[in-house]
Amino acid sequence: MFDNLLSGFSAILAVGPILGIIAGVIIGIIFGAIPGISGIMAIAIILPLTFYVDPIIGITMLLAVYKAGIYGGSISAILINTPGAAASFLTAVDGNALTKAGKAGKALDISLFSSVSGEMLATLVLILVAAPISAISLQAGPIEKVFLLLFAFTVIGTLAGESIPRGLLSCCLGMLFAMVGMSTITGASRFTFGYTELMAGFTFTPMLIGILVMPEVINVIRRRKVPHHEMMITHSPKPADNRISFKEYRSVFATIVKSSGIGTFIGALPGLGSSTAAFIAYGEAKRTSKKPEEYGKGSVEGIAAAESANNAVCGSSMIPMLTLSIPGDDVAALLMGAFLIHGLTPGPLIFFEHTETIYAIFAGFLITDLFLLGIAKSGFRFFVKVASLRRYYIFPCVTVFAFTGAFTAGQNMNDILVLIAFTIMGYSMRVFGLNPAVFIIGFILTPFLEQNLDQALAIVGTDYHLFFASPFSWVFIALSAFFIYSSLRMRKKATSTPQEKAV
Amino acid sequence: MKNTQKTLLALAGALAVSFSAGALAEYPEKPINVIVPYGAGGDSDLTTRIWADAVEKELGVPVVVINKAGGGGVVGTSFVANSKNDGYTLINAGLGNMLVTPNFSKTPYDFDSFEPIVKMTAVPLAVVVAKDSPYTNFDEFVAGAKANKLTQGSWGASSSGTILANIIADQAGYSVKYVHAKGAAASMVSVIGGHIDSAVSFPPAFGPHVKADRARALVMNQKMDAFPNVPTFADYGIKGSFEGWSGVFAPKGVPEEVITKLKAATAKVMTDPKVLKSYENIGAVVDFRYGPEWVSDMKVTYDIMKDAAAKVKK
Repeated sequence: MFDNLLSGFSAILAVGPILGIIAGVIIGIIFGAIPGISGIMAIAIILPLTFYVDPIIGITMLLAVYKAGIYGGSISAILINTPGAAASFLTAVDGNALTKAGKAGKALDISLFSSVSGEMLATLVLILVAAPISAISLQAGPIEKVFLLLFAFTVIGTLAGESIPRGLLSCCLGMLFAMVGMSTITGASRFTFGYTELMAGFTFTPMLIGILVMPEVINVIRRRKVPHHEMMITHSPKPADNRISFKEYRSVFATIVKSSGIGTFIGALPGLGSSTAAFIAYGEAKRTSKKPEEYGKGSVEGIAAAESANNAVCGSSMIPMLTLSIPGDDVAALLMGAFLIHGLTPGPLIFFEHTETIYAIFAGFLITDLFLLGIAKSGFRFFVKVASLRRYYIFPCVTVFAFTGAFTAGQNMNDILVLIAFTIMGYSMRVFGLNPAVFIIGFILTPFLEQNLDQALAIVGTDYHLFFASPFSWVFIALSAFFIYSSLRMRKKATSTPQEKAV
Repeated sequence: MKNTQKTLLALAGALAVSFSAGALAEYPEKPINVIVPYGAGGDSDLTTRIWADAVEKELGVPVVVINKAGGGGVVGTSFVANSKNDGYTLINAGLGNMLVTPNFSKTPYDFDSFEPIVKMTAVPLAVVVAKDSPYTNFDEFVAGAKANKLTQGSWGASSSGTILANIIADQAGYSVKYVHAKGAAASMVSVIGGHIDSAVSFPPAFGPHVKADRARALVMNQKMDAFPNVPTFADYGIKGSFEGWSGVFAPKGVPEEVITKLKAATAKVMTDPKVLKSYENIGAVVDFRYGPEWVSDMKVTYDIMKDAAAKVKK
């Protein structure tokens, strides 16, 4: 493995890949830092461009955008209390409190250091476990994958937000839209209403932009009277408030490691993503903290927990995609498309067939973390300037990019119609309180569930007990049961606490 | 003032000349689009891209490959069927979108909606098992399949893979239970993982695994240099052509000149060792064909598919 990684480093340390990483990091931070749009939008737009370069350059660049985008979300969260990405919601609480206290420099520093630490740790886990897992995952056939996917749906259902029914409804809508088009199993046309164009189903990239990005543009138009917040790095006369000392970093290091662990685990489970990781890690850090009262009022530890967890997801979300060819979230689904375009089929065999490419990409992930640290640290001012451009400069550009991105992916005019239709749908979902992110996950995972369920049924025939013959099946059944139980308990606690107080 | 008028007149004259020249110009005078009805990076896409790169130099205009994937090839293929038949929009044709899908699904086009131009390559279908499978040759496999219900990987109930596999099974007198994956490559993963007993597959999908000794090809459509020890279906007395192929078709009614030009250009590049090497690299066998005999061969396969479809619908 280590010689593979070494040869990977030698492949990545060339002009092309390094330029790709630098460009990716800069684009990612900017897109992440602008409130309302996120790194995923940048990935969707850049994706078609990467078809023309070497897979090592293309894929590391996309991943650099992803990682930098998740980090970039924390900049606007800290400075103007508006998370650039949903995953930075908690960073906004503590980070902005520090900014108000004149310690913006400290908040930005700890967010960057913990983001990079979280990413590094998760990437190391990815490199260490991916190949061994892929050896085991070859043994995980359709039956085991069905239970894994059922587990993923359970987790999405239980953790999707405040309202379980709304979460489930969003997920089911996603599943419904995923079924449009020709069934890959029977060849039957479903929900096409006689339109040949619908036989291909809905194209993922335009739909994603429509659901996630364009409704934000509409929101900005609606809120155009709200005064503009200029981002500023507040400066404190005391130099200690403008930076993070090694001692402070060391004091939160245990939190960073624990939160990265949580983030890595959550990222490796299909369907959750960085926001959930940030919430769980923050809650856990607060529960075990020596100073829980500081949380929410400018706790350095709190920022460290949230940021290391949400960035750890970036590396580990590659695990299910690479080893089982099941993308765990929207970014992984986009990246899987990029792998396929380059003739690299994600799945257990990718480590046999494309060893060099995969380890070069892994090496690229590690180098990206270093570049992210260097570029972000030296360019705070620049990124803050770009991200605080007036909204009437940014959002017309976003709209143009959204339409171009939707078109270039497939060079198909119908994709523009898909974009418009799903913009309306995405906006309506926000109005009715449905969860767009869950909708997307439902859309992504459904074809995998259907295909694997069909394969599993063909394999077991009438011997249904075979469904429960594998130990993997039981692991996922047990995990699903645990998640349902713990979420029910959490909800019971949440509803009973206020009443107790009333008594 | 007079000068301006003169210039305008001259300009108008020049425009007129260039327009009439346009009408008289020989094909091709602008970029040609070839639609691949599947995703980028697949067999059909790679085959077409190699062809496009090569004939581009012969024709002197860019030949642009555009992927319009979806609906098992129906989306892209019907797009070309409805395009102008001026020779500037062509389709990557294959077993799936030309001979199988029109018979098994409702499509807004048919085999007769197109003018076949050339066939570039063929990929022989094979029956593949894992390295540690108890079946070391096709006879043993047939015996095993007769005794037990074996599973076989394919890619969709009405896909070219399943249809061909059914014809093979009918002739050899066994039946299998199909396990449908996303494509030939995905079902190879299930074979190697030991989840299914066998799969039908093409060399680009099974080749690397057979070479790395993770899988074994029991029988295939024709001899290939890369797999010298694999017998053919004919060796076992199974008649028919079990191959995927890739060619270029134009919408019906395309000018004769277009067909001649494209054939001539293809004929020239199909002797280029660089082109041959590129095809070998992707695991395809060059099978350059055109003309009435080729078209009638395709018609035969089309009718076989039609019968198979009628059987399924019963």
